[in-house]
Amino acid sequence: MSGPSRELPIVPRRSGAVDEGDHGVHGRGIFDAGLLDRCISCGFCLPVCPTYALEKDEQSSPRGRITLMRALEAGRLEPDDPTLQHEASFCLGCRACETVCPAGVEYGPMLEQWRDHQWRVGHGPAPARWLRWAVARRLPLRLAGLVRRFARTRARSVDPDTPHVMLGCAERVLFPKVSRAAVALVDGADAPAAQGCCGALHAHNGDSAGGRAMAERLGRDLPGTIVTTSGGCAAHLADALGRDRVVEISEYLARSGWSPGTKLMTHGSHGHPRPIRVTLQDSCHLRNGLGVFAQPRQLLEQIADYVELPSAGSCCGAAGSYSVLRPRDSKRVLAPKLAEIEALDVDYVVAVNPGCLLQLKQGLLRSKVKAVHLVELLSQAAPRQ
Amino acid sequence: MRSDHSVGWGAVDDGVVERLRSIVGAEHVKTDDGAVAAFSRDATPLFAARPDVVVLPGSTAEVAEVLRLSTQRRIPVVPRGAGSNLAAGTLAQDGGIVLVLTRLDRILEVDADELLAVVQTGVTTTELAAAAAAHGLLYLPDPGSKTVSTVGGNVATCAGGLRGLKYGVTRNYVLGLEAVLPTGEVIRTGGRLWKDVAGYDLTRLLTGSEGTLAVVTEVTVALVPAPADSRTGVAYFPSLADAGRAVARVIADGVVPATLEFLDNKCVNAVEDFAALGLDRSAGALLLFGDDGDPDTVGRNLERMAQSCAKEGATGVTLAQDVAASEALLEARRCSLPALARLAPVTVLEDVGVPRPRIAEMVGRIDDIAARHGITVATFGHAGDGNLHPTAVVDPSDGGAIDRTKAVIGDIFAAALDLGGTITGEHGVGAAKLPWLADRLGADQLALLSRIKAAFDPAGILNPGKTGS
Repeated sequence: MSGPSRELPIVPRRSGAVDEGDHGVHGRGIFDAGLLDRCISCGFCLPVCPTYALEKDEQSSPRGRITLMRALEAGRLEPDDPTLQHEASFCLGCRACETVCPAGVEYGPMLEQWRDHQWRVGHGPAPARWLRWAVARRLPLRLAGLVRRFARTRARSVDPDTPHVMLGCAERVLFPKVSRAAVALVDGADAPAAQGCCGALHAHNGDSAGGRAMAERLGRDLPGTIVTTSGGCAAHLADALGRDRVVEISEYLARSGWSPGTKLMTHGSHGHPRPIRVTLQDSCHLRNGLGVFAQPRQLLEQIADYVELPSAGSCCGAAGSYSVLRPRDSKRVLAPKLAEIEALDVDYVVAVNPGCLLQLKQGLLRSKVKAVHLVELLSQAAPRQ
Repeated sequence: MRSDHSVGWGAVDDGVVERLRSIVGAEHVKTDDGAVAAFSRDATPLFAARPDVVVLPGSTAEVAEVLRLSTQRRIPVVPRGAGSNLAAGTLAQDGGIVLVLTRLDRILEVDADELLAVVQTGVTTTELAAAAAAHGLLYLPDPGSKTVSTVGGNVATCAGGLRGLKYGVTRNYVLGLEAVLPTGEVIRTGGRLWKDVAGYDLTRLLTGSEGTLAVVTEVTVALVPAPADSRTGVAYFPSLADAGRAVARVIADGVVPATLEFLDNKCVNAVEDFAALGLDRSAGALLLFGDDGDPDTVGRNLERMAQSCAKEGATGVTLAQDVAASEALLEARRCSLPALARLAPVTVLEDVGVPRPRIAEMVGRIDDIAARHGITVATFGHAGDGNLHPTAVVDPSDGGAIDRTKAVIGDIFAAALDLGGTITGEHGVGAAKLPWLADRLGADQLALLSRIKAAFDPAGILNPGKTGS
């Protein structure tokens, strides 16, 4: 009887070898070199992944998806493997995994490159293609927004220090009040009507090159500081234009020392006036991508009785286009959060991203809790000029 | 031994898959290429193998049915919890079934009067600890991977953690197990009793058996009342060997602390890159010391340990101001391994143990071995219980680096054994360290392990190619 070999076997399966243990995989060239190598499969990401929480299944975890990406890159899975298709789409792209990863794995870029491949021409989900097409049309966007009376100033200010409020593609149509409130809150800001979509939706839906080009174009439309009311757009723009060009609205106001005239009041159960009670749902990309989460809380504490939502840092299921592409899964992710919100006994749940706002509004249709954008409350509490 | 079982495995054919589907439900059986590929790795670098089928049972009865079928058909079964194993212990290198136990995730009971909890095998260590904390109780084993790892996985590897010196490891807290034998019988070992010597201690035998003897489905653990206070401090030293000598001094000065961990300069920098706690990046080594108990005792012990460190040449000592700051330090220590992945594409972690008085000597030998083979080795570990994690940080594109890493590992094992130590303190033998097991146990004991294995698992289907095989 011969003893076992003392070699550390790199391909140890003893029959029908199929191996996933690659390091320094350079195969199909779908992913940037080195991007996949960082992950050591420790699994620290599992407890914060919303889809792993739903399924308790390795393939639906960040670690499992990276294993799948490696198999794709190395050519051990077919490009149209159904598990790859499913998981590229099932992932919310919330990037919560990045915040707990001691190895510093850059999951966000990995997912974008994965979807670039998985949803390449003719392969992506039809609604994703339609959405990409729709938000890229500048004129219809402007017209639809005009009908809804979004904030706009006729022309761009020539002063290079003027902050420009970004109108957003979905937001100007769905929530025109938000840009109006933002312009009122930011001293001396303009909001030129001639601006397109930032391209975040493209980048997250299989067209990262198109998304980057749109961000760069927006950067030329709005030279200097861009103030945005959307966490998702902020993270994408910061990635394309540089962090110093982009300021999310809560960040802008906290930095400029904004303070309200007074707390916002409502009537309590016995008719006595009391401050409103509010909670906050973070925007995933704002929190996980840009590290902005203290600022909106700091502002809200000044105008209301603030209560922390236990799952505030975890995705609400809106996830950009996710609620359109995977409505059923989107609702599964949202459900436990709605129960949490109801249990807090608050008047408002505050969002800092239009997608989250729409998701929460729909989820709370029959609730006494109202979903609002941060700037809607802040502008009510702002000192009158 | 391995060759006995590595030939003649039964095929996972359509009939077997159909039976598995009828046992656990079609949605809990995976055969697609992609679905099984996701289960082809655990947290061990350089090891991977794709199983034929992945099965996720939802009850003990389903586990029993699957095992009975597997024994009949001679199909390998690899039990798996969270897949955070570091010794290729959950790898299906013979193919067959990966049996994923994460659906068994219920906390069945926490009893504050009896000071125990009963959980299903797939509950995570942190979930168990949180359930205990809600009753003012503490579950003491706290492996670095506790937010991820399952209690069943902790039992399978006899997981250790940061409190080994004062409190011991998983085996010291397992009171009873429900386990399924490979032939399908369900046994209950131990129970709710602190004293029970009826028969062989199968609870202890199964704890650390790496899923090679039976599949653990339910665990009864002992809890303790949560201490009123728990705090840590940090001391910096010129070298890891200096920190190792301070460990001996701390104990000699009469304190048995809850925590005594050390990190070398490379680990301190990697951890600081992630956690940004303001650690001193220039220090040669960091010693993290901590204690728990009533506040006065904790404060006194921390002072004494700080003095012991100063006597051994600490260049700086700081005490964390509160429990939160202490927890942040411990958290940072727990992420040492993954943080090291920032340094190079491959990190090969080892898990040797030596008697505590030999720590400084072992650290010196590791440095010599690394230098001899031209491989960067970063070392951290549980200094209090002599369990070290030298970690080779390797760029595989550097020609021959992987081969030299293997040589480093072999030499580190030899050095640990030479100093009266072991090849694995808490991660297990798995497939990764099986070639060295005979060096630790000797031929007679290894043969006994094989006979024990055969008594539990006549067909040899459970986790083949791991410890005891």
